[in-house]
Amino acid sequence: MSEAYKIPDGLYYTEEHEWVKKLEDGTVLVGVSDYAQKQLHEIVYVELPETGSEVSQMDSIGAVESVKAVSDMFAPVSGTIVEVNEALLDSPELINEDPYGEGWIAKIEPTDLDADLTKLMDAEAYRAHVAAQAH
Amino acid sequence: MKRTHLYAYHKEHGKIVDFGGFAMPVWFEGVFPEHHAVRNAVGIFDTSHMGRAMAEGPDAERFLNYMVTNNVAALEPMNGLYTVMCNPRGGIVDDLIVYKLAADRFFIVYNASNREKDFAWFKGHSEGFDVSLRDVSDEVAMVAVQGPRAEETLQKICSEPVSEIGRFELAQVKLCGFDALMARTGYTGEDGFEFFLLDTPLGSPEKALEVWNALLEAGEEFGIKPCGLGARDSLRLEAGLCLYGNDIDDETNPLEARLRWVVKFKKPGGFIGREALLKVREEGVKRTRVGIMMEERGIPRHGYEIWDGDERIGVVTSGGLSPTLGVGIAMGYVPPAYRKLGTSVKIKIRNRLAKGKIVKSHPFYDESKYGWKRDRK
Repeated sequence: MSEAYKIPDGLYYTEEHEWVKKLEDGTVLVGVSDYAQKQLHEIVYVELPETGSEVSQMDSIGAVESVKAVSDMFAPVSGTIVEVNEALLDSPELINEDPYGEGWIAKIEPTDLDADLTKLMDAEAYRAHVAAQAH
Repeated sequence: MKRTHLYAYHKEHGKIVDFGGFAMPVWFEGVFPEHHAVRNAVGIFDTSHMGRAMAEGPDAERFLNYMVTNNVAALEPMNGLYTVMCNPRGGIVDDLIVYKLAADRFFIVYNASNREKDFAWFKGHSEGFDVSLRDVSDEVAMVAVQGPRAEETLQKICSEPVSEIGRFELAQVKLCGFDALMARTGYTGEDGFEFFLLDTPLGSPEKALEVWNALLEAGEEFGIKPCGLGARDSLRLEAGLCLYGNDIDDETNPLEARLRWVVKFKKPGGFIGREALLKVREEGVKRTRVGIMMEERGIPRHGYEIWDGDERIGVVTSGGLSPTLGVGIAMGYVPPAYRKLGTSVKIKIRNRLAKGKIVKSHPFYDESKYGWKRDRK
């Protein structure tokens, strides 16, 4: 079985395998990593957070489910949920197919992004984290 | 972790997980494709982690009949039956299949998670019976071939006419030239077979690997897939079959589990748990196993609560997304008042209550479209 995971540079990652991507307008996109989707395998259900809700870093904001398992989704940064990826309601497999692109889960308007990002990992640190988990 | 005869194949092709202490494949390609292969064509499962024992001797039949609730004395040679065995409180020690090989020889197949417990339970009750018990789990490989094309697939490697084996019948055959016992049984709801490769010790599993690979080749034209525990679980759930440890356990009796049909109160000699179960029958069950189908988004899971209005009425014991039906389905226990088909209930999924209803669960699917009965006219 292939154990290679895509971990793009330029994103920030949590220990629970969420990613954060900074957008030019100051908001961030969040989702779950390639490692997370491969561990879950066939994703069949996504519970999205509610648009407009305020979340604190590492609050549980939803869930990603495969046939076999439920994985809680945590807010990687504090802020307000300004948009959710409603395409996932009908096509949760988008997370399997494109975890960093079409499989994004929510857009957050962060309250204190710089402080929150210091608590997250960059791609290099996350690669080491995944390597440690895989063994 | 313990390994089965087919571990070398699993390690190369599957995603391995720890299942009750065994290194087993949860999937090879994925739960969905494997599940659909079994419902529509054929799939094979390594079930060598299950417990297998021989009971031999002049008292073997009388002994087993005292241990289990179903009537072993009614078995013809080379036939098997599904049963449970109970503790004196009426709780289920395990569910199992007992095959009668000859008047004084029986073959028993039980759950992987209960291998030690069951064998000790048998041993512990055998005093006073002229019966010898032998755990042959590590000397016999076990594989399930399941699905509407199972018969055609197996026939290609089997010495005997497979079509002549009826449900729960057993035949002595040769598979790829090796001695095997073949039964028309399974845990998927589909037609299919479970076979036992004899004299195949864990330490020299070549025969098992050869037969496994021969099956994959024989079934290639039908789209055969090797299947893991994930599909095994989703298939048995759709078929409404209990999983020991989830839906039945030491604290659950067969009457509330709706396994009344395997309890033969009138058989001669009695059985362990009979008095307790008679009392349950007299007083009525306090809860009953039901099937639930979701009417709103959400996947019910083991341990989720079942609600009616603001009252918590029970717990889900098995649940998941049905790959065949495309909705969440569950089994769980509720008070008998909720048993009626169509009754509305709610399942607590994280912080919300999702609507569902009580449905026929044995099986959940339409039997004219899926399952072993569909081909019967």
